[in-house]
Amino acid sequence: MLKDNLGFNPLSHELSPKYEILSEEERISLLKTYRIKPSNLPKILDSDPAVKALGAKPGDIIKIIRKSDLAGESVYYRLVISE
Amino acid sequence: MSSTSELEAKSIDSIIFGILNPTFIRRYSAAEIFTDEVYDEDGTPITGGVMDLRLGTIEPNQRCQTCGSPPSKCPGHFGHIELPMPMVNYLFTKQIYTLLQITCRSCGRLLLSQDRIEEYKKQIEEYKEKFGFVPERLYSQIIREAKRMSNCPHCGASQYVIKWSKPTEFYEIAPEKTTSRINPSAIRERFERIPNEDLKLLGINPETSRPEWMILEVLPVPPVQVRPSIVLESGERSEDDLTHKLVDIIRAAKKLKEGKENGANPVILGEFENLLQYHITTYLDNEASGIPPSRHRTGKVLKTLTQRLKGKEGRFRKNLSGKRVDFSARTVISPDPFLDVDEVGVPEAIAKALSVPERVNTFNRERLASLIRNGPNKYPGALYVIRPDGARIKLDFVKDLNAFANSISEGYIVERHLMDGDYVIFNRQPSLHRISMMGHRVKVLPGRTMRLHPSVCPPYNADFDGDEMNLHVPQNTEAVAETKELLEVNKNFITPRYGAPIIGALRDLITGAYLMTRKDTYLTKKDFLLLMAAAGIYEDPPEPAVKEPEPLWSGKQAFSLLLPKDFVYRGKAKVCANCKECDENNCPNEGFVVVKNGILEKGVIDQATIGSEKAGTILHELILRYGNEVAHNFLRSLSRMVIKFLQLRGFTMLYSELFLPEESKKEIDDLLNTAEPEVNKIIEDFRSRKLERIPGKSEEDSLEAYIMDKLSEIRTRTGEIASNSLGMNNNAVIMTRTGARGSDLNLGHICASLGPQSLHGKRISRGYIGRPLPHFRRGDLGATARGFIRSSYLVGLTPTEFFYHAMGGRESLVDTAVRTQQSGYLQRRLIHALETLKVEYDGTVRDPYGNIVEFKYGDDGIDPSKTFHGVFPLEVYFNIIVESLNLKTKTEVSDEKLDSILSKYSRMLPKILVNKLKNEIKTYGIAEEDIEKVIREIVKKYEETIADPGESVGIVAAQSIGEPGTQMTLRTFHYAGVREANVTLGLPRLIELLDVHRTPKTPIMKIYLKPEYSKSREEALKVARKLVYKTLEFVSTEIRVLHLRNLALIVLSDEALQEAGLKRSDIVKALSLAGFKNPKFSKKRSNVILVKLKEEREATNLDFSASVEKLKLIPISGVPSITRASVEKEGDEWIIKTEGSNLMEVTKLPEVDPSRVYTNNIMEIQEVLGIEAARTALIREIKSTLEEQGLDVDIRHISLVASAMTANGRLRQIGRHGLSGEKVSILAKAAFERTVPTLVDGAIMGETDYMKGMTERVLAGEEIKAGTGVIDIFVDLPSS
Repeated sequence: MLKDNLGFNPLSHELSPKYEILSEEERISLLKTYRIKPSNLPKILDSDPAVKALGAKPGDIIKIIRKSDLAGESVYYRLVISE
Repeated sequence: MSSTSELEAKSIDSIIFGILNPTFIRRYSAAEIFTDEVYDEDGTPITGGVMDLRLGTIEPNQRCQTCGSPPSKCPGHFGHIELPMPMVNYLFTKQIYTLLQITCRSCGRLLLSQDRIEEYKKQIEEYKEKFGFVPERLYSQIIREAKRMSNCPHCGASQYVIKWSKPTEFYEIAPEKTTSRINPSAIRERFERIPNEDLKLLGINPETSRPEWMILEVLPVPPVQVRPSIVLESGERSEDDLTHKLVDIIRAAKKLKEGKENGANPVILGEFENLLQYHITTYLDNEASGIPPSRHRTGKVLKTLTQRLKGKEGRFRKNLSGKRVDFSARTVISPDPFLDVDEVGVPEAIAKALSVPERVNTFNRERLASLIRNGPNKYPGALYVIRPDGARIKLDFVKDLNAFANSISEGYIVERHLMDGDYVIFNRQPSLHRISMMGHRVKVLPGRTMRLHPSVCPPYNADFDGDEMNLHVPQNTEAVAETKELLEVNKNFITPRYGAPIIGALRDLITGAYLMTRKDTYLTKKDFLLLMAAAGIYEDPPEPAVKEPEPLWSGKQAFSLLLPKDFVYRGKAKVCANCKECDENNCPNEGFVVVKNGILEKGVIDQATIGSEKAGTILHELILRYGNEVAHNFLRSLSRMVIKFLQLRGFTMLYSELFLPEESKKEIDDLLNTAEPEVNKIIEDFRSRKLERIPGKSEEDSLEAYIMDKLSEIRTRTGEIASNSLGMNNNAVIMTRTGARGSDLNLGHICASLGPQSLHGKRISRGYIGRPLPHFRRGDLGATARGFIRSSYLVGLTPTEFFYHAMGGRESLVDTAVRTQQSGYLQRRLIHALETLKVEYDGTVRDPYGNIVEFKYGDDGIDPSKTFHGVFPLEVYFNIIVESLNLKTKTEVSDEKLDSILSKYSRMLPKILVNKLKNEIKTYGIAEEDIEKVIREIVKKYEETIADPGESVGIVAAQSIGEPGTQMTLRTFHYAGVREANVTLGLPRLIELLDVHRTPKTPIMKIYLKPEYSKSREEALKVARKLVYKTLEFVSTEIRVLHLRNLALIVLSDEALQEAGLKRSDIVKALSLAGFKNPKFSKKRSNVILVKLKEEREATNLDFSASVEKLKLIPISGVPSITRASVEKEGDEWIIKTEGSNLMEVTKLPEVDPSRVYTNNIMEIQEVLGIEAARTALIREIKSTLEEQGLDVDIRHISLVASAMTANGRLRQIGRHGLSGEKVSILAKAAFERTVPTLVDGAIMGETDYMKGMTERVLAGEEIKAGTGVIDIFVDLPSS
């Protein structure tokens, strides 16, 4: 698996933010808040090490919680797409 | 519709690209063009010639024979040429080649089985539905797969290999190796057989672009408006290049046609065909590779269709993206400190040439009438009058101006001269950021130059050494309103680049303010009143500071008059010497500035407190607390008062002031005398190999580093001695220390020593063999021989020194020239990549297609130009609010209570502000019932600072990064100290980051270790040794092949082994690992390894170098691509810094803390840690690159650029191969780079440009949908 060829979990690196896969309800409410289609979201590849470690599938929306100097914490979303 | 214009204004909703089909060309044609004759003897165009009157006319006395209109109304009509044979359209050759390869030569189907076709069709559908686009990659995969087929899966026909003989011929090679040409008509026939459904699989839209249309059988002839002829002075006509080319085509077509009809020899017919193809190809593109460009009789290369569109001088960039304008002026600028900062002095001559339209009404009728009476030549007058019926009357031609003036009434529009108070837009190129264009109020002045207040120089980057600037006059009330409310200097004190004023005092204003506020400055009553009057303060003077023997006022008192009565400020002046122990109360330099209740109590005013391009100045605080108007008044009064003061006092600088006292001269001389011996000592150490090597550098490099270090140290110290001995009463020192002009370095150069000169960051070493100049001995590494300049400007340089100085001087000139080019291009790319991004009403940053780039602009949604140097100044607002609400303080509120109140507002404020607010409330002790009141006020303040919807944050970000690019050094390397590793910095590094290079020029890593290895230097060093990549070459002194036994003999170097921390046996292990069987130590010599060579070789082959080279490269230890490693202490742990980077492998090492490993290679981070980590690292790298150069850029801009670069899931570069290349709009892409290929691709794919982006709209002359352009009326229609 991934852990073997990397030697550690990329999600534990200090550069990596917190990731969560959105549930169906969260997904619907996100798309409604911003009045968008999933394709309007920023993307993340399914081959991305973080996506693999998270086990997300293409079509999933990932919630990303970053540390931010300006706001303390900032939330970002990305749609998983296949390469 | 108004009676003056028959043209109705319509807006372009979308543009569909496609290939013109022959039927359409014929139908659209107004005339067939068939003869190569153009005019008859009397000069009238021949019917059927290229200037046929049915194509329209541009001659004033002719009428178009198609629409009957005079030239002003006729839009021009296309004609057509019937080609005797189909011809290849050169622009499509690449696509023709691909299509020939992937479709069946007999049935025309795509060479994929029906199953695969269905599969791909499904995939394409899926992509469209799920993600809204089809990746380019899928199409190229289909093409690749189809190319591999040798038989048609549909009809079974075997496929021939297609050969493309550039530029326009295609051949197929049959299995029996016979090559035959596929002529254009055959290509056409094949393409006609390709079914629409199959084309869709390739992304081709068959509706707009059937492939057979890529073969021309009829050629459209553009109307004459597109190719006007000019009449030379001699009366001779000179035709446009396109006309020439069209005539060539007709001539060639005619020859071919006649040849065909007369049954000419096929060889000759082929010649004719080639000729026609040549002319058509060069008509389309005269720079086509593989064929000679078509030339005019004079030998000048013709500019044909592609050349007209392409490049900087092409249609897109020269005429569509930018247009020439009326109502503008340009002249030399000069300074005038008596103007207001938001004024511009306009020469009367210009004011008389520019006009402002003003509609007559009851209130201005008399005034406008009197302007008309003055006419166009007497200022203030008027140039034109537009009657309500639309007729435009030029006052030059009106005989009785008086009578005419009396006749005007409401509804007339008078175009009057530019007058005082009119708003105009002032600009200096290069317009690198939005404040390169600002609104100014006109002040008509005598003279021939435009004048501006010196304080507005920084945003324009203007000086007065001959700079010219442009002025534009808005022509309608909407434009005037926007100029006044958005563009005015007043509204742009704070630059969005770093959220601090870019405008402030400069040069003389700083010297003057310093001299005025020094403690020894006292003014008599007369002088003090003069200063007050100059500043426009008409009140009673304050109590004089000294009453006896005569009343005297201090300069500080004068300055205090400019400040609001309740102003409070504390800060350090620029003259502050940064003493170890700061005695705030008795600073000898008056470096500590204290303002209380609007009174300057302590300290002097200089660049640090009123300078430009600085955060935290008095001016900045005034803007924050009292608003732009107060700050503006302060700046105006300040400059008038200070100039007055300087006039009274006088200020100058003498040459003789720079002579140093004897003892300082002696001190400097003594110091300089040590330079040569010190350097010689280092060289001596080097020669006797006693010099300690700097880790990560070779011995030679270490030597140079030590010498450079020594010499710059000596120079710095001479400068210090000089500057200190001159003292604060020296006029030159006053200027440098207060930040008015010049630096300590400049002073040192003038009166102490110029110090070491450098080329490419090293001492000067090139020139003659072994020496830079013939005045020295070969191999002389001494200070003087390698460019150390001992003299100062004051003393003058020796001839050799002069040469060295010129070398360094030239480098800096070349550097500047190269840098402006590079940063200019970077700016263009940034703008094109980010121009479409703007803030939407929901606070997200999106492109015009609704794709989100950031969910909240800059994480907190705040506009940096409304911040205090990037931060929301919560403390300041809090205090203002608490004061204005007159609240009771010092009451206790429980944490829980406070938290519960705050939680209600947690969605409205960023987390960090909520925390800060909590602190403020607690320390201040706001009573519980008042807390919500305060919070609501803070929320209101926060909402005011949020970026406005429609704000073009993309462009602002691009400008904020591109503009400082011009100020960056190009010098790649930088000596921070002897031990600093060489890292790419400055502009090259910034370009490298934004270009997303696969590997940086100087990859480095910062490796943190697990606690057990990070405690001591020794442990860390061990790990560092292990890291460095070593091959067999490094650990051996000799590698030889024993020919007869087919063995390799390797002599190990114990020294090298020790350095790498390896044992001899490790080498054996490494060899077996590399696949060598049974490597053994020699029985006689324990440091020799014998190993059997892998490959058998012929006994006669005695060349072993290849085998030896292979052996040399066998990895022994370390991590590949890590070339050097050194340890360093950071905090209380030892860390490793490496040259070379390999994130993947380093994280695997057991000694390393994988969660903190860092590399400057962003691509590697993307691969190993993912796109999010790459984004963070990219921001970090850009930020530190800018910071290292001392450039202040708000983090929001950097983060937006990084978000845009990573929005698609992988790093995309700023430029053609990334963000700009992936733009949706064909026109925007074409306007950027690769103009014609982009249009061609768009045509084949049948793409639609929805005209939503910025570039497209500019090209079409439409209003831009950003800023004030997003305001529109939306109606909710009842749902049906």
